[in-house]
Order: sequence, then C-alpha cells, then structure tokens
Amino acid sequence: MRVLLIEDERRLAENVATALRDGPGFAVDYAEDGLIGLDLAGNQCYDLIVLDLMLPKLDGLSLLKKIRTKGDRTSVLILTAKGEATSIVELLNAGADDYLSKPFDLGELIARAKALIRRGKGVASPVLRLADLELNTVEQTVYRSGKAVELSPMEYRILEYLIHRPRVIVSKRELLEHLYDYNWEHHSNVIEAHVSNLRRKLDAASQQPSIETLRGRGYRMVMDRQESQ
Amino acid sequence: MRPYSLTRRLVIAVLLVELLSAMAITGLALAYERHTQFHAFDIMLRGRAYSLLGAVQDAEDAGDNVMLDGTERSLPSRDIYEVTDANGRVLGRSSNWRGSGDVAPNMNDDGIFRAKINGRHYRAIRVHGVRIVDPGDKGGGIPRHVTVIYGSETEHVWDVITDAVEFYAMASLLLLAISGVLMFWLLNRGLEPLRQLAAAAATVSVDSWEFAPSEQARGIKELAPLTGALETVLHGLKRSFQQQHQFVSDAAHELKTAVAVAKSSVQLLTMRHRTAMEYEAGLERCQADCERMEEIVAKMLTLARVESQEESKSVSHATKLLDCVYAAGEQLATVAQEKGMHISIDGDDAVVVDVAAEQLQLLCSNLILNALQHSTEGSEVRAVVQTRRHSVDIRVEDDGSGIEPEMLPHVFDRFYRSDPSRSRKTGGTGLGLAICKAITIRAHGNIDIVSELGRGTTVTVHFPVSTFIVT
Repeated sequence: MRVLLIEDERRLAENVATALRDGPGFAVDYAEDGLIGLDLAGNQCYDLIVLDLMLPKLDGLSLLKKIRTKGDRTSVLILTAKGEATSIVELLNAGADDYLSKPFDLGELIARAKALIRRGKGVASPVLRLADLELNTVEQTVYRSGKAVELSPMEYRILEYLIHRPRVIVSKRELLEHLYDYNWEHHSNVIEAHVSNLRRKLDAASQQPSIETLRGRGYRMVMDRQESQ
Repeated sequence: MRPYSLTRRLVIAVLLVELLSAMAITGLALAYERHTQFHAFDIMLRGRAYSLLGAVQDAEDAGDNVMLDGTERSLPSRDIYEVTDANGRVLGRSSNWRGSGDVAPNMNDDGIFRAKINGRHYRAIRVHGVRIVDPGDKGGGIPRHVTVIYGSETEHVWDVITDAVEFYAMASLLLLAISGVLMFWLLNRGLEPLRQLAAAAATVSVDSWEFAPSEQARGIKELAPLTGALETVLHGLKRSFQQQHQFVSDAAHELKTAVAVAKSSVQLLTMRHRTAMEYEAGLERCQADCERMEEIVAKMLTLARVESQEESKSVSHATKLLDCVYAAGEQLATVAQEKGMHISIDGDDAVVVDVAAEQLQLLCSNLILNALQHSTEGSEVRAVVQTRRHSVDIRVEDDGSGIEPEMLPHVFDRFYRSDPSRSRKTGGTGLGLAICKAITIRAHGNIDIVSELGRGTTVTVHFPVSTFIVT
C-alpha cells in the first residue's frame, strides 16, 4: 500500500515514515508543505493520506477540501496538535476519515492507517479470506489450505493489494504505483519476478491456481472471495 | 454601591426644583393677594370712615354741638367705629365697641392700624377730618374738627387670600404631578439610546466580540464619545485576546509537535529489535528531540518573563551596548565556526543603553543567531552599533537567502517561520525575533527588518535618545 505523508516537521515525518515502512510495509511518499502534498495527491495513486494540519504554503484543512472537491476518495488520516472539538467536527465535515492528536502513539497510527486502508477497499476485518487463502493483516501471515506460506515483504504487499481486488485485472503499473514510493525507479520486471515467486509459493500449498497472468494487461486473483467478518 | 435609576433621580431632582418654584410662586401669590386685598380693604375702610365724617351734623342744641345722623345704621353690624369731636367728646360709637381708648393710645395720628377687639382681629383707620356745619351761612359755615375711627374684621379678607393661595398651590401641585408623569415618560424615551447602548455592550462576551451599538446611540452627541471609547476598548481587547489565544494555540501546537517527535523517536526504537549502533543513533535522536523541546520551553518562558517584567520602570540600567554585542558574538562563535562563517562587530563603544544587560545580550545573540541560521556557508554576519541624532541603533546584517516580501510583516510574530521546514531544520523555534521585539518594546524602542531575496537581511533595533547616555 502506498501512503502520502504531508508533515512539515521533518523529524516527525521521518519517524512516521520509518514506522509505516517498517511496520505494515507501506510505501511512503513525503511532502513537507501543503502545495507539494496537493501536487502529489493529485498526480499519484495513494491508498491513504496522512495529513498534518498546520502546514506552510497550504494548510491541511484547505488541502483536504481541495482534494475532496476534485472527487479524490483516498482515505485521509489527520494529524493534529489542536484539541478543539470544533476543528475536529470541521475536519470530519470537510471529508477527513479519522484523526490523531499529537503526541500520538506510532502503534496506534499504524493500526488506524491499516484500518482506514481496509475500509477504503470495502473490508472491515483485519483477516482477509479468498477461497482457501487467508491473509492476516495484523500479523502479516498467509495461510493456504491451512498451511503457512512464507512470503517476502514485497510478495506479501502484492498479495495484500491483489486480495483486496478479487476478479479485477490489476496492471503492473497499478501495482508499481501502490507499492513503491515515487523515489523508486520503476522497473516492471521487478513486479513480474515478485508475482512469479508469489504464485509459486501459493500454488505449492494447493492444487488450485491463485493468480492469473493476462498478457499485456496484468494480474488477477482467480479464487472466490470470502471475507471473514 | 447600590444601583439606582438615573431616570428616577432626574425626575426627583426636577420635581424638587419644580416644587421649590411652586412654593416660591405660592409665596409670591400670597404676598400679592394680601397686598391687593388689603389695599382694597383700606379703601373701603377709608370710604366708610368718610361716610361717617359726612354723617356729622349740627345738633342744633344750646351748646352748638354736632351729632351723628343715622348713616351709621346702614354700616355692617360687626364693624366698629367711633366719632369724636375736637374736645374728645364721643359723637357716636358702634355698640360692639367700648371705645378707642383700649386700642389706639395715640389718637392724633391718621392711618391704618390693627387691633384685637373682643377676641377678633380688626383692621381700622383713623381719619382726622373737618366737618363744615351750615356751609350756607355767612362766613362759609362753622368748621368742626372730628376724628373718625373705623374698623372692620379682617377674617373674610384672609379667607379670600387663603382661597386664592390655595388655588395657586393646588394648581401648582397638579402641574407638578402632570409634569412629573410627563417627564418620566419623556426621560424614559430620551434615555432609550443609553439603554440600547447598554444592551449592545451586554451582548459582548469572551466568545462574541461583536459590539453593534444602534445608529441612534451613535448619532447622539453625548453618547457618541462613549460608543467610540467602547468600540476602541473592545477592539483592543479583542485583538489582545485573539493574540493570547493564538499564542496559546501556537504554543500548544509547537509543544505537542515537539513531544510527538520525541515520543515517536522512542517508539521507533522499541518497534523491533535493533542493533547496538541503531539504539545509539536512536538515543542521540531522542536527546536532540528533548533538547529542542527544552529550547522551545525555555524561549517561551523567556518571552513570558520579558513581557511581564515591571521592574524596568523604576530601575535604570546603564549597559554598554557594544559589550553585549561582543558577548553575544563570543557566545555564538562556535555556531559560526561550524558553519564556516564569520561574525564582524563594529561600533561606538561609549554608547550606554537603559536596558538590563541580560536582556540586551539576549537581544543581540538572538539577532546574530538568526542571521547565522539564515546565511550561507562561508558568508559573514555584521553587527554594527551606531549613534544617530535621535536614536542609537544596533544593526545586524547577513548575506543570506533573504525573506519573501509577503512574509516580512509577520517575522516578529510568535512562532512565525518564514520557511517552517528550513527553520526547523536549522533549529529555529519561531520565538527568537518575537523575544527581540518584546525586549525592544520594553525599552520604548522599535525594531525593523529589511530583506531582499537572494541578497540578505538587515535587522535594525533603534533605542530612543531618552534611553541612552553617551559618556
């Protein structure tokens, strides 16, 4: 999953970005002012925007209103150092999905970020199931037909992204956009290699195929989805 | 003090004045009525006395005496009279009176006098007249000197006077009552704008600073200064309150952010197992975060202390300005060295400023540090003390990147950063220039900033001539 972090306090941004990368393994893009943040939000694909309120050049609330006016439905988690009830109401009314007051707990931030991404994709439970495949987003473990499947972090991320979109063809570009931050040099064959490994590991545990490759178009999960509630 | 009604007070005051006026008018009416009535009464007395004089007739007796004819019978029965001739012989006297001996010892004087006869108050006239008996005779008749005393009761005159005065008094009281009611109504109406103003002022609260006096209140000459003064005071209070609110909000933001940074640094270390080197680096970050927090708190406290200090009014300081600049330069020498920069200091070392040494040094070091933080490596920061005609200035110049023109008016605001990310990177708290401004204002001076993008920035503090002495 790819997260846009807009925060002017560089030290805090570094810590949050490290926590999001190390914990759930998100790709994190960082913007240190509102204008850069708005630009990135408009031109890149994000699963979540973590937005500070007091920002130089364009404040967080205005940025939020602007992206919502443009029809951007990306989940937005606000980081605020203010505790006033009015501003929280204002934030939620302006289209924020959740907020965290500074100083916050990094564990809580990660949990909220994951929950927001799940909900953004129409899933409530942290355990995702698709036929005999089970993916626990909290423990980051994968089981197929009851057998544990050991995946590399990138394989896990690809699977997590795909499992959210069963029966939908996901292009390599889309995977690249959601799994790597903008500093990454895009090489589509990296995705191919990861998907190939992922398919091999998943299929080793079951007789049924898991990921279908559609030449020139992308990938698709071929199992029926069963979401655990 | 107990609240009282202005309307009631004014009504009572005016009614009191009216009552006094009414009493004065009644008194004057009494005097006038008394004078008029008694003047008429006296004419009547005189007329009746002369009619008695005319009633003196020749008695045609052997002694050639005179007598009174029957005229006296037509006189009011309660009146008194006595007619005597030149020898004191009583020619006639009313039956209800024993004679003039009791009341009029000095019989030779003409005129009006008062007497109390038979327990009743009389007003009487004494007339000395000459009655010519037989005027048709040879020689023009015989002159007879006669004295007439005629008196009449004054009770009915006083009744008339009392009636008239009562009428005036009642009319005055009635007018007083009518004018009281009318005045109360008019005053109530007249004071309505004042009430409206009070109502408008009552709507002002900590949450709502909107003060909207009615147009009527604005248009009234007596109320306009009050309305203006209220507006000015409220405007000032609102600004001050908003500034305080902004400061608290900004301070909370800064502190919460600083705590968030420190907390996240610690949490990051505990999220997974790390190597000893990673822990070491993490702890160094934590220390740096805590130092930054410490710096923010220290600067906030400094700002609060500078703004609340009262002692400078009574205590006078004589601090050498250039000494403070040198001390600040020395203090910041290592910072300058780290950045490969040079601090040059120049100026008049005789200038003494009336600011506490500690504050003056803080001002100088903040100005120099600010210049160092925003200058490029290898450049120079220049601090110059100058004596001018009306002020003594300290000027700090740098050749840094400069500040955008739209940011310039805000650089002395608390927590304002022209470029937050850069300022935080350089360790700025956004309070340095706010502290400089607070110190300058306390010394009755002023501070200004000139900056050109890409060319550098110059901050100048002007201390007024009254606060320094050139030795």
